[in-house]
Amino acid sequence: MADRLERLTNLVATLLDTRRPLPLEELVDLVPGYPPDKASYRRQFERDKDTLRGIGIPVQTEAIDALGPEVGYRIHPDEYYLPQLALTADEQAALHVAVTAVQLEGGAGPEALWKLGGLEGEAATAVAALPSVPELPVLFDAYRERASVTFAYRGEPRRLDPWGIVFRRGHWYVVGHDHDRDDERAFRIDRVEGPVETGPSGTVEPPADLDPASLLRDDPWRFGGDEPVTARVLVDAPQAPGVVHQVGEHLVVERRADGSVVVGLPVTNVAAFRSFVVGLLDGAEVLDPPELRDGVVGWLRRLAATG
Amino acid sequence: MSPRPLVGPRLRRVLALVPWIADHPGAAVADVAARFGIGERELEADLELLPLCGLPPYTPDRLIEVELVDGHVWIRFAEYFARPLRLTAEEGLALLAGGRTLLAVPGSDADGTLAAGLEKLAGTLGAGEGLAVEVGEPPHLEALRRAAETGERVEVDYYSFGRDALTTRRIDPYSVFHAYGHWYAEAWCHLVDADRLFRVDRLQAVRPTGAKFEPRRDDATAVADTVYHPSPDDPRVTIELPPDAGWVAESYPCEEVEERPDGSWRVVLAVSERAWLERLLLRLGPDARVVSPAELTQVAADAARRLLRRYEPAVGG
Repeated sequence: MADRLERLTNLVATLLDTRRPLPLEELVDLVPGYPPDKASYRRQFERDKDTLRGIGIPVQTEAIDALGPEVGYRIHPDEYYLPQLALTADEQAALHVAVTAVQLEGGAGPEALWKLGGLEGEAATAVAALPSVPELPVLFDAYRERASVTFAYRGEPRRLDPWGIVFRRGHWYVVGHDHDRDDERAFRIDRVEGPVETGPSGTVEPPADLDPASLLRDDPWRFGGDEPVTARVLVDAPQAPGVVHQVGEHLVVERRADGSVVVGLPVTNVAAFRSFVVGLLDGAEVLDPPELRDGVVGWLRRLAATG
Repeated sequence: MSPRPLVGPRLRRVLALVPWIADHPGAAVADVAARFGIGERELEADLELLPLCGLPPYTPDRLIEVELVDGHVWIRFAEYFARPLRLTAEEGLALLAGGRTLLAVPGSDADGTLAAGLEKLAGTLGAGEGLAVEVGEPPHLEALRRAAETGERVEVDYYSFGRDALTTRRIDPYSVFHAYGHWYAEAWCHLVDADRLFRVDRLQAVRPTGAKFEPRRDDATAVADTVYHPSPDDPRVTIELPPDAGWVAESYPCEEVEERPDGSWRVVLAVSERAWLERLLLRLGPDARVVSPAELTQVAADAARRLLRRYEPAVGG
């Protein structure tokens, strides 16, 4: 019996070369290595087909003719072949550095480089590790296929036109238009409850010049239903750089000689704001407005009364 | 029977090898093996398989031709394998995410080669600008990366978040990397005479010392693992949480999580630093309660009184 790798290689060649879908009976007759009896070759072929699809080979099942129910198999070369990228050797080497310097969990980087012409130049020292999460590849695929998706999130079904994928502060997000809310939304992908169902390709058109990162709802105190108010917070020197890094330089309203800073935060979610401020411990103080300052003081008094 | 190696990965490699060799007639076997990250033996096994493959009816003119002469290789009659297989979602993601991440690191693509390569790739993948990776750029990142590269000992002012304390120390930063959304420096710390992990965004200042150390390479993923794993010696704290605080179980590596019939929670967390626990309890508010150990049941109230002193200087002096 022929080696399985040999059979699979022949199967791919035959399916790529054919101009019409090949019925199973014809296929197992053409490609050596399948057992003679129908139940066995059918089972064997199903396994082979799963292996091929598992590594990304687009084996299509198509009707043999418009009239009958009979199906056949083929691989369309235009769906199989990697388009010409015309990468220079330097660009290949730069990508080699990139996938070794930045390790995406799950490690498909080296296989990807094989397809681009192998490992050019030298590997790099690791600079960053990015986590992967189960639904990330399928959402990325849906985004690049311009297909809408459905999934559950916090127990609720969602329909989303994916406009982009963003990695921020250690988490992957998918952003886009949420049909049910009729609004722009971001979802943390590790909280997406699969399976993600992908709709037809080419049905989503992300807005031109969209910066997907701009749709991420960062800094939780900015996103709530409370009356908007600007809170001035004094942050002592030790934590000042971290806070400025987090909120952005543009919100710094005062820098003091001792290294402390005053930041002006737009607050529409008082509870989230309070969490942020008490998280700085006694290294920060809400200066005004009085109602926010009193809110923090009241919270701390209730806590102090517990012990 | 010995376990059979998985056929999928090897098929992937063969389908990538063939078009490359066909495109580079007479390539040296040693070079091809290095290019595909395999040994020459493995490559030869792949090459031996190919002359058995081709198209029906598998007459000599329909089989792939492989010629090996003096350590050089030619492949002919494999037109159907003229191009490699398309990138899968995982592969495209690994390339783009890796590239975009590196572009976000200051000084990593001085001549724009990577950006040019990524643009070609993104176009092919239909990914445009829709994949964004943000790694942030804390103020002292570049200085620290330079110190790590050149092996320069530096003096830093470091704010320890867990202990809520600012210290000055001399460190030998041998590895600077991004993991779990933050930049870290792994360094030999001369203050404690041990390896320590520093969050780069918590550095207040980095000053040169003029001293040198021997740079060493490290695997970021292995180091990254140490970021998240509590030590077995850390005290375990049991906390009761109100129903709306279930996010704690989702956001922190709890060692035990119990949801009770009334919707409240009981979680066990490893806590190495008191200030870390203070932060958590101050955020949770009066409805959360430390159950054990006994010496930590007053942490929230004590911390709240300390914070109140900033607001009410008269209270408690």
